[in-house]
Amino acid sequence: MSHLIALTARELKSFWYSPIAYVVGALFLLLQGVVFHLLLLALSDPRSDPSATMARAFFGGTFYYWFACLITTPLITMRTFSEEKRTGTIETLLTAPVTDAQVVLSKFLGAWINYGALWLSTLPFFLIFRMLTPLDWGPVFTGWLGTWLLGGMLIALGILASSITRNQVIAAVLSFVTILLLFSIGILEGFIRDPETAKIVEYLSLIEHTADFAKGLLDTRPVVYYLSVTAISLFFTGRVIANPRWRS
Amino acid sequence: MTTSIEVSHLTKRYDTVTALADVSLSVQPGEIMGFLGPNGAGKTTTLRILTGMLAPTEGSVRIDGLDVTERPLDVRRRIGYLPEHVALYPELRVREYLDYRVAIKDVPRPEQRARVDEALQQCALADVSRKLIGRLSKGYRQRVALADCLLAHPKILILDEPTVGLDPHQIRQTRELITQLGRTTTILLSTHILPEVEMICHRVTIINKGRIVAVDTPAQLRQRLQGSAVLRVQLRGEVAAIESALNALPGVTRVTRAGAADGFHAFDVQSSPGSDIREVVFRAAVERQWMLRELSQAQASLEDVFIQLTTHEEP
Repeated sequence: MSHLIALTARELKSFWYSPIAYVVGALFLLLQGVVFHLLLLALSDPRSDPSATMARAFFGGTFYYWFACLITTPLITMRTFSEEKRTGTIETLLTAPVTDAQVVLSKFLGAWINYGALWLSTLPFFLIFRMLTPLDWGPVFTGWLGTWLLGGMLIALGILASSITRNQVIAAVLSFVTILLLFSIGILEGFIRDPETAKIVEYLSLIEHTADFAKGLLDTRPVVYYLSVTAISLFFTGRVIANPRWRS
Repeated sequence: MTTSIEVSHLTKRYDTVTALADVSLSVQPGEIMGFLGPNGAGKTTTLRILTGMLAPTEGSVRIDGLDVTERPLDVRRRIGYLPEHVALYPELRVREYLDYRVAIKDVPRPEQRARVDEALQQCALADVSRKLIGRLSKGYRQRVALADCLLAHPKILILDEPTVGLDPHQIRQTRELITQLGRTTTILLSTHILPEVEMICHRVTIINKGRIVAVDTPAQLRQRLQGSAVLRVQLRGEVAAIESALNALPGVTRVTRAGAADGFHAFDVQSSPGSDIREVVFRAAVERQWMLRELSQAQASLEDVFIQLTTHEEP
């Protein structure tokens, strides 16, 4: 356990000591701030749909939400393993008395906490919003939770991508394309006629699940889906790291 | 007492290339073993297998009696490994890095601070402990990596070319440190610098093209050839007859065949120190009517031993 804490602390430090954190962080806040502002304008228009809520619009209601999820996760994860492989620090890391599981898990936790911190930075938006108008915190909370669980899955995929290459650009492109494919399945939903296939696609659709979370629905199915893809990706990352052919 | 490092019949093959062929090597507790060989001889591959970074194709490695592939974590707890290319996190400060490393090396928490202080002291890093690793010179970075190796007080140190890229002053300091550490620790020191071996090591293993070619003490290796002349002789005649005749000459200690070209056979003839056998060889050739084409002599040094052991002239 103390190993895992030390390793994760190192991951967090290295992320926040790098300029990437601040560029990603600043752009993220700027984007979310603009989106929040525009949504506020749209929702205060008397002609707007009365059933629309801030939580539903903010979490998954716009293209920007997906942009923020799909772009930030590869940027957070691209360095995790590939940079260690490129510089050679992986050798010092893997010859220390730590298990492969500890290494993989620390990379994941570090990235997941960083991602969570990015989204937590939107909390003041809602606090200000709350000062002006009543707000139902339930859907906001589940919206965050859904976003965080979804992020965990995207991060695990990104770490897997990073573990198989020593080039962080390749790692970023690889995880971005994978994430985009997973995301685009949801877009295909409307085109599928066969009811059985439609069910599967619906289950895999990130868009549907996020919309549910933002309505305040805490459904176990997407939670199981996200967590299992996360676990499988991390398992395979562990296999990659354990393989002498791939480890350096 | 358990042998500190026991490598037996180690073979490493990559698709078509054989990097190591039947390498065996043993290091006793408290010994400083030099691991000498030209670049590309397989030194780093061997060390990477020792640390569990690479898996052997055949053969086994035991560190302090434990099999590397069966008990990787216990093995890693016992060794301090300095890789060939020192790689550190440039964004961390020296102290910060060592604090992190000591925490993942199973050093009891209350002792961690003292260990880091001790390592900083030993490697003369105390005055840069607050500096960013990325801003340090190559010599300092090398010492940070060495300090990292010492944190857990390992029983065995595996150092891959620890003085490469250092300035002469730093090289001297590093060697002094290694010698000092050698009093309490078993060390396997890979290098291609001969004087280093002579100064530091108790024994030397010489590797070339993935094979062990010699194991001896530096003094004996030197004695084996220093002062003694190696005579290169090229004669035309029946090769076995020449060889036995040369062997029978007074003062000759060793005859090795060194190839053949257009009817002539080349031999390297070693003689006991101080004797000049050129005349006797010439007489023997005349008596038996062998054509003599070359009779050249060079004074052997440890460098020659090394060159001789690690160079194979194609016949």
